[in-house]
Formats: sequence, structure tokens, C-alpha cells
Amino acid sequence: MPEINFTIDAQTGEMEMKVEGVQGAQCADVAKIVTELTGAPQQEENTKEYYAHPKVRPQIQNNKA
Amino acid sequence: MSKYMTFPEAAFKDLDLLIAALEEIGCSYIRQGADLEMGRYYSEQLEQKVSIVIPRDVIGNDYGDIGFELTESGEYRPVMDELDRSRALNGRFIPMLRAAYNERVIAKVAARLRGTIHRAVEGGVVKIKVRF
Repeated sequence: MPEINFTIDAQTGEMEMKVEGVQGAQCADVAKIVTELTGAPQQEENTKEYYAHPKVRPQIQNNKA
Repeated sequence: MSKYMTFPEAAFKDLDLLIAALEEIGCSYIRQGADLEMGRYYSEQLEQKVSIVIPRDVIGNDYGDIGFELTESGEYRPVMDELDRSRALNGRFIPMLRAAYNERVIAKVAARLRGTIHRAVEGGVVKIKVRF
């Protein structure tokens, strides 16, 4: 299940965010929702999962009568 | 993990969340508007126009008003004297405001994603997981 893990440092109020289980464009959409409320992040890293393409299994139609 | 972001700046983009966070930390009187003038109580305080004003003495800001100016990038940034930064809420005004604001950000993100929130506090860290 996709999730976002936020941590807030009570001493500073600083927030960190990790998006997990979300690939590609959907991950960018999640980040956009957050940055609309927070402004631009100071640090931002995309991981391998971000660049992963969803696996699509090719379908072969069998037209034998 | 697919994305990691940090937000260390004291900038607040959503006006409604900012006002709610200010009220939560104890700002009982808040003025809002365009080009509000901050009070000048000492000769060294220059003219400053802002969008939000917490008047002097509301929250331990003995030295002057606390203001929030709207920047060109659409963020509200605090305008306050260094003396009040160390005095208001015993020097915890900005950290408490950021924490209150960020918790509201998370609640709004969860609502938009129709997700569920799981909150825990470990040591000095608030951990919030949003599943969607």
C-alpha cells in the first residue's frame, strides 16, 4: 500500500517526508500536493523506484477458430 | 522509498493553515489584510508593511509586533525582531508554529488523498504515516 512517512522535529518544527510505494508520475503528483502547502523543499531526492516503469504484460490474441 | 524531501525553511504557503496554526499556539489576536503597518515602538524599528500582524505583547513579543509578509513566490514569511525571536513563547514561537502548521499540512494532504493517518511520538519526533 502506498504511504507517506512524515517526521516533524518538535525542537525545530522541521518536517521531512518520504513517499514509499509510489512510482513515477503518481509520486510527482503526491509531491505536488505537499509542496502546494509547504513551498519548495530545500532538499529533494528521487530514488530508483521513482524512475521505475510499471510492468505491463503483453497480451497475445489467439485468433484460431 | 521513491522520494525524499525536507522543508527546513520557516515559510508558510497556505493562509488558512497558517492562521489556524497561529491560533493553536496561543495567538489570541491576529490582524489580517493588505499592507498592514507594523507598530514602531523604538526608533530603530523601520516602517514595515505585512499581511498578518500579531500585535505586541500577545504572545510574549515584548519588543514589537510580529508580522508575516507575503513574498513574490506566494509564501508568508515571518518578520520579527531577534529579541522577540528569543522571547516569544520562550524562544519557541517559530518552532511551535512550524510544527503546528506542518501537522495541518499533513492532515490536508491525507484528506486530499483520502488516506488514513497514523500518528506516534517518539522522543522529540512526531511520526505521521499517511496510507492511501
